[in-house]
Amino acid sequence: MNKKTVLIAAREFNENLRTKTFWLGIFVFPVILLLSFIVPSWLDDQKDIRHFAVLDQSGWLAKDVESRSAFPDIERIFKEVAERQKAGKADPEWPPILKGLAPSLAEMDEKTRNKYAQSIVQFESIKDAIPEVLAQIPEAKRLEFDQRMKELRAWWGKLSAGEARNELGSFSLAKQNYELVNFETEGISVEEHRKILEEKLKAGAIFAYFEINGDPVTGSGSFVYNSRNVTDSSLKNWFERHANAAVRARRFQANNIDQSLVEKIQAPLVFAKKTIDKDGKQEDVDQQKTAHSFIPAAFVYLLWITIFMMAQMLLTNTIEEKSNRTIEVLLSSVAPFELMAGKIAGIAATGLTMIISWIIFFFLIVKFALPAMDMKAPFDITPLLTDPTFLGSFVVYFILGYLLYAALIAGIGSVCNSLKEAQNLMMPVSVFLMLPLFAMMPVVQSPNGGLAKILSYIPPLTPFIMMNRAAGPPTTFEYVVTTILLLASIVITFYGAAKIFRIGILMTGKPPKIGEILRWLRAPVGAMPDVESEDRQS
Amino acid sequence: MNETQEMSLILDGVTKRYGKFLAVDNLSLRIPTGSIYGFLGPNGAGKTTTIRMVMSIIYPDQGRISVLGHPRAEEIKDRLGYLPEEKGLYKKMRAGEIITYFGRLKGMTRSDAKRRSKELLDRYGLPEWHSARCEALSKGMGQKVQILASLVHNPELVILDEPFSGLDPVNVEVMRDLILDLKREGKTVIFSTHVMEQAEQICDFIFLINKGKKVLDGPLSEVRKSGGEAIQLDYDGDGACLKELKGVSRINDAGKTAEIFLEDGTDPQDILRALIDKISIRRFDLSEPSLHEIFVRAVGGKTHE
Repeated sequence: MNKKTVLIAAREFNENLRTKTFWLGIFVFPVILLLSFIVPSWLDDQKDIRHFAVLDQSGWLAKDVESRSAFPDIERIFKEVAERQKAGKADPEWPPILKGLAPSLAEMDEKTRNKYAQSIVQFESIKDAIPEVLAQIPEAKRLEFDQRMKELRAWWGKLSAGEARNELGSFSLAKQNYELVNFETEGISVEEHRKILEEKLKAGAIFAYFEINGDPVTGSGSFVYNSRNVTDSSLKNWFERHANAAVRARRFQANNIDQSLVEKIQAPLVFAKKTIDKDGKQEDVDQQKTAHSFIPAAFVYLLWITIFMMAQMLLTNTIEEKSNRTIEVLLSSVAPFELMAGKIAGIAATGLTMIISWIIFFFLIVKFALPAMDMKAPFDITPLLTDPTFLGSFVVYFILGYLLYAALIAGIGSVCNSLKEAQNLMMPVSVFLMLPLFAMMPVVQSPNGGLAKILSYIPPLTPFIMMNRAAGPPTTFEYVVTTILLLASIVITFYGAAKIFRIGILMTGKPPKIGEILRWLRAPVGAMPDVESEDRQS
Repeated sequence: MNETQEMSLILDGVTKRYGKFLAVDNLSLRIPTGSIYGFLGPNGAGKTTTIRMVMSIIYPDQGRISVLGHPRAEEIKDRLGYLPEEKGLYKKMRAGEIITYFGRLKGMTRSDAKRRSKELLDRYGLPEWHSARCEALSKGMGQKVQILASLVHNPELVILDEPFSGLDPVNVEVMRDLILDLKREGKTVIFSTHVMEQAEQICDFIFLINKGKKVLDGPLSEVRKSGGEAIQLDYDGDGACLKELKGVSRINDAGKTAEIFLEDGTDPQDILRALIDKISIRRFDLSEPSLHEIFVRAVGGKTHE
């Protein structure tokens, strides 16, 4: 780039730095990002506790549900406590019983910990515990453990939903959301009981009530869920899940089937997901690897949004320049091509500053702000940092893609006098640009499929599709050929755009017709073909 | 004698068409170095097109241009100063910044451009506006800043398209002084205008164009002499008596001043005698006709103003 182009770019950049839009753009993004993490979890916290009642004619189902639902909750509490204890983030607000358990929980592996949780829910005493758990605990410590189990059970039994929310915070337990309410029903008939519940439901004292009218084990009779809210069925689903498990256990018992045998029979067959890496070696597919193949799609969105945003900036800027009436003075100092290149580079610098600041904010938020607020990002960002294919392709395809579209848009912008005119001319470009978005899912699913391959060779789509395929990844041959095609079309577009820019930028009045623009393109460099709308004032 | 060395600008048979519209028709001009050359003509005559061709902003269809000895202005952009007809500034930039910026675009170093921009603003009465944003400047002030921006790099040839348009009398004066300063520094100045009085006051040479064709061209005095003699009259009273004068071919009566053209053989003394009792004469002056008259005559009285 020559010196004048750099000067123009620098001025463009400087001027953009002085606009409010620029700073708004920089700071709105982290705010939105932060809110998108905070608001859903905040809304979740704000959800009312669902109080419910059960008209239980079986006499055991409600109790069974309660004790069964304790298992996943306790398992979850142990997991959270163990992890935080290990990370040195034990919460001083925890109830004493958890504080006492925390060090030993932190030492257990996940399997043992879960068995332990199961024992606490299922058994009265350590002696009945699952043998594997028992084996882990030395004789001398068993009494202490026994004591702990009792304490924990007592604490859990008394813990209300509200207390669970206050004391345990973000553990997302069923206990924090659903609470069984028992009304005084001693000595009253079922009909009277039902009446009371109906009244309570009407008054809003409970969210819903279940009716168990019959024997759940045989399935005879009716089972009803009554609520005034018919859209939120999370309570019903939760209750159903645990009721089913309880009923199934009783059915096994009634048929003299050994529960542990059932578990053995029902143990699912799990296929470990593996893949072959570039060198032909087998590797495990963990969650990270799955996320891996979706990261490109996220980058395609980012690429698309940023290229579009910057193209829009360039368009507005070119049109403003025309209305500023500074073009002619500039053209007396610099060549039209230098002016165009300077503008394109200046906007690129502005856009890149914005994008880089976003990326920095993104990492800061995910790495520091969220942990500080005791929150986790819904995805893992490590592959971004460890695999250069992603950030590398993003940067390269961003620059190439931007250059291609920028040239096109500088050409379009130069012939227009208002944004409205420009938008009409931009229409076909915008419609065409929808293609990579439509193609996104098919390309993610088969990054080396026929569609993906064909689209890669269409230069205006190359940056998006190749980015999309980054998890594939495409062959070196494809990278080379598509990049050459892309570079060639950038050169051609710049050449054509420069010709249009040279004429268009001086024009006032009606924008030219496509036919007229094509004539400009055919004319030799430097010639001024017939320009009908050129103002004739001299 | 090598003419091109004395001539800052030579146009040779230059023609420019916009579609079927003939904007400039077979125009030839020679502009000597160190002169002030006025491009005159009604709106739409071809002044701006000519200037744009000189600046290589557009290219002629036919003909040859030589600017400071070069066939295209592009090659020597840094030696030319240009104030276009379409004038504008970056609204958000400060006056000093914008002058510096244009200086740097003309190849000056940052410090040189800064120093020179401050110097020019001080010299032409804008020191306190150095750091004012352009959007805060009045039209006249903005125009001054633009002119200074076109002069910051000390160009050899300065082309000003309608430099006086939109200026109040005080600023017109400043602008005139500025052009005269340039001449004093040995620079060549071309400026276009359709206000004859301005050209009359400072031009060494006049070039008159109408409908794309050259009508008149030459030193101001010669151009004026070519119009014959005329009586310049300043008076008070009822000008109706002027119309009754005999031996007069044409009268341009502006109410307080009038220009009277005589038929051949008419004695100016007779005119004076005829008028002396009817109106109060403040000036009676036999001289060349005004540029305005020459202009009007040359374009057949059918200007589009």
